Amino acid sequence: MSTNRHPIEQEELMAYFDGELPAEQATEALSHLELCSECQTLAADFRGVSQELMAWEVESPEVGISSEINAALGERLQKREAAKVSLPKLKNRVVTNRWVWAGALAIVCVAVGLTLTLTSRNRNADRATGYPSMASIEQYLVPDRNAEIALARSAAPEAISNDAKILVLGWRGYETAIEGKNGFVCMVERSWILPFHSAQFWNPKVRAPLCFNPAAAQSILPLTIKRTEMVLAGLSKAQMIDSIKAGFENKELPVPGPGAMCYMMSRAGYLNDAVGHFVPHLMFYFPLTDKSSWGADLPDSPVTLNPQFRDGPEPITEFVIPVGKWSDGTAAPVM
Amino acid sequence: MTSDEALMLEFQGGSRAAFEELFARYRKPLYGFFGRRLNNPERAEDLTQETFLAVIRAASRYEPRALVRTYLYGIALKLLAAERRKFLTSSTSRQSAAEPNTVGTPDCVLWVRQAMERLDAPEREILMLREYEQLSYSDIAELLRIPVNTVRSRLFRSRLALKSYLESEARTNPGLRSSAGQPHPGRRGTQ
Repeated sequence: MSTNRHPIEQEELMAYFDGELPAEQATEALSHLELCSECQTLAADFRGVSQELMAWEVESPEVGISSEINAALGERLQKREAAKVSLPKLKNRVVTNRWVWAGALAIVCVAVGLTLTLTSRNRNADRATGYPSMASIEQYLVPDRNAEIALARSAAPEAISNDAKILVLGWRGYETAIEGKNGFVCMVERSWILPFHSAQFWNPKVRAPLCFNPAAAQSILPLTIKRTEMVLAGLSKAQMIDSIKAGFENKELPVPGPGAMCYMMSRAGYLNDAVGHFVPHLMFYFPLTDKSSWGADLPDSPVTLNPQFRDGPEPITEFVIPVGKWSDGTAAPVM
Repeated sequence: MTSDEALMLEFQGGSRAAFEELFARYRKPLYGFFGRRLNNPERAEDLTQETFLAVIRAASRYEPRALVRTYLYGIALKLLAAERRKFLTSSTSRQSAAEPNTVGTPDCVLWVRQAMERLDAPEREILMLREYEQLSYSDIAELLRIPVNTVRSRLFRSRLALKSYLESEARTNPGLRSSAGQPHPGRRGTQ
């Protein structure tokens, strides 16, 4: 099959049927398939082979858990119970730490006016809502893949996002929907990127579009990916915190690289129940840095220290600078 | 429904119910895995149980880096490799395996099995992991420690080869073709 006549290779066509092609190539494959009788024949051949293979079924006898497994299971669970004797202390420590973090966050919120726009009305609304545990995964997914791609792109001006790599959230985590050309990566973050003690950590409505520049794609994106993987794997917050700490300790997670930043200029995002789509802004990432080095939170300074990573397991300082326009060039509300 | 990964972590945390749920979800698929690769239903059942034993013994070391599904088939592949090594060193096993029990096996199943046996072993394994275990290309690549592109190209070759073998078989036995490839309640492999 010549690629002059067929824009996709036969192997790619097979991958399309297996659901293994990225969205952009899948769309191309589908468009071509509708017109090409040769490829339609190949498709029918692949389907035929799969159907014939399904003839080979294996009837499994109805057997329960064997006595050997039962014994091993009993032994393991007994050991586990014995090990629990030393756990209460640890548990108390974790709980204490949580309260310390929660307290620290409250102090930070008061001290820095919590990122620019929290009104008392919004705070009341925030307290009134609650997301004590993870909702079903479906609630965090965007059913229309193209809609998520468009939302991700809306984080930055088209001149940046049109050539950016686009990630979308699937059942198994973030996956590449469109390959990029300029080193930027656009995606829509979910609520679990909020501080672990945030009341909205499990808010399924959160859709936070952002575009990482190449430096942040190398150093901040892995953190989002890791948190997402852990959430989808069902880890507890304590386990996630431990894992992130270990990740930074063993260098699995990088510290922010020089110049790491991202665009958050979407007017269609939803950052949390308190601020909605917030205001368009840029975020800059550093290894732990004193906020005074940026003049953050000083009177009339446009720079704010974002509490996202404050007192969390990530050794990252993040500054926020609001900008005057949304990514589509329209004027943003005056803060 | 609780995810497999969440169940695995619950089991790691001491939940027997979580293990029982995983057992219920994966006993039949694992039996099918071994059943198609060994001509011995008893060993298929033994190895299925051994897979779960390995899960119990390694539970404290489990890390949710991969899907539980992939993790289980990773264990199953190791057990299968050990079984095959054992089989190669046992003359009695070799004799008994040389002639798989086909009594009562429908012709269309024999036909598929024979066609599969004509594939190169690595390509056959990839095809089976994809078609029967429904693993993704990247899961297969991870389990077999080969690049994803290799998985794709071998899968492509094996499907084309299998199609050719099946067509050639259909020409030889035209009556079989009409019944193959369509779901039928009586179509069961007996192993």
